[in-house]
Amino acid sequence: MADAFSKCHPAVNFLFFVGAIGMSVVIQHPAYLFAGIVTGAIYYLLLNGKKAWKTILSLLPMFLVLTVINPLFNTLGVTKLFEVFGRKYTIEALLYGAALASMFVIMMLWFGCYNKVLTSDKFTCLFGNLIPSISLLLLMVFRMVPNFIRKTQQIIGARMSIGKGISETATTKEKIQDGGTVLGALTSWALEGSVVTGDSMRARGYGAAKRSSFMIYRMTGTDWILLVVMLVLLGVTIAAAFFGQFVATFVPAIDIAPVSWGLAAYTCYLLIPTALHIKEAFQWHISRSKI
Amino acid sequence: MKKSNIATLIVFFLLIPVTLFFGSKLPGRGYYITGTAIILELMIPFFMAFEGKKPQARELVVIAVMCAIAIAARVAIPIPNFKAIFAVIMLSGIAFGPEAGFMVGAISAFASNFFYGQGPYTPWQMMAYGAGGMLAGFCFAKGRLPKKPLTMAVFGFLAVVLWVGPLLDTSSVFLMLSDINWNSLLLTYGAGLSVNISQAACTVLIMLLFGRPLLDKLDRIKVKYGMMEDENGL
Repeated sequence: MADAFSKCHPAVNFLFFVGAIGMSVVIQHPAYLFAGIVTGAIYYLLLNGKKAWKTILSLLPMFLVLTVINPLFNTLGVTKLFEVFGRKYTIEALLYGAALASMFVIMMLWFGCYNKVLTSDKFTCLFGNLIPSISLLLLMVFRMVPNFIRKTQQIIGARMSIGKGISETATTKEKIQDGGTVLGALTSWALEGSVVTGDSMRARGYGAAKRSSFMIYRMTGTDWILLVVMLVLLGVTIAAAFFGQFVATFVPAIDIAPVSWGLAAYTCYLLIPTALHIKEAFQWHISRSKI
Repeated sequence: MKKSNIATLIVFFLLIPVTLFFGSKLPGRGYYITGTAIILELMIPFFMAFEGKKPQARELVVIAVMCAIAIAARVAIPIPNFKAIFAVIMLSGIAFGPEAGFMVGAISAFASNFFYGQGPYTPWQMMAYGAGGMLAGFCFAKGRLPKKPLTMAVFGFLAVVLWVGPLLDTSSVFLMLSDINWNSLLLTYGAGLSVNISQAACTVLIMLLFGRPLLDKLDRIKVKYGMMEDENGL
């Protein structure tokens, strides 16, 4: 089943991820970090299904390495665990490393969701009016890449049929040499084609008047409600930051602000896509059971 | 005054100082967010200049084609980790001028991440490749440097090892380190160096073996259709 949040207006999607990823960079309070990881992982799982576990688990070694490395460089902190190369290895620095590693994990998770939700068509649609030439450029690149990959395989096939293909056992030098020839053939073909495309675009009136862009998405009532809810929650979270609720220093001594209403706002904000997804799944279940 | 010039002034004298001021007060990953914001702001004038001159259809398609070739090149050479992307960007810059070099670099970095996944490194990659392509275009324009395979290879090597690689490493420094001191910097840049050198070696190989033939193909298109001629002014 398609994800409900992905069906919302691209502006809503984009704003959500700007908020989620933007906040993840400035927060180092453990409670907020935990909320970020859990909500990010849940949404990532909902988007990608079972194979998401592999990605999530692959972040774990990354997390551990980043955590244990930090005290090697950051020797501040009061509780000494042991010495490495004559430098202090402190528990505070270790926890600080864990916080920084969590930030990194949150970022990776939410970027993973971003890649799934904000597809290239949504991006060009969103920025089509602001940067028309560049979005057109991007659109053409997205079309050309699969096209060129197909053409490359055709060229390789054609070369193989006249006995110029490379075998599995070819040396690296042969592979590079052959690859260069294929690349050259592709370049010639693509550039000749580009001139034809360009002329054809001009003949049909490209650049003659202001270009209008095709908008498949419309702001619906739900989108407006979501936008308002998101802005309110984000506003509350930022206000919490100004009231010092995010404060968490690890070195030289641990000092963490008590958890308060800021955490609730932040968690609710990050749960928006998950909530939408579950709500839709639930409704689908109910409407099916009625039949 | 042109819109893009005004934008440049605003970026340099207003946006960047304001970003630095607020960035220094941020908790957590202050370095990363400030650095990324500045990178994005620096790219605004380039993109505005490109939009502002209302590029012709032919020019637009040629840039798109070069981006797509840069991304698709990894299919042509079936060796893992052999990246031809920067070589193609450099050649585009040399053949079609600094501005086209920047656009090909920045757009191919951005577009390729739609296939391989956007991440916190995306803006840094755009800037690294874009500025690399622009620099190549600038240095080889008007015969400043001879367009010989050896010069192009040396230029490519230095560009990757001294500019593209370190800039990408800087984004990981800001992302992963808590305390930025000489030791930690040395380790991160040192760890990045081997990757950078292998990528630089790919660029060198392509430039030495195919730099000239590929460049001839691009030049031929330029002469045959009389394209991008006003761009040699810089």
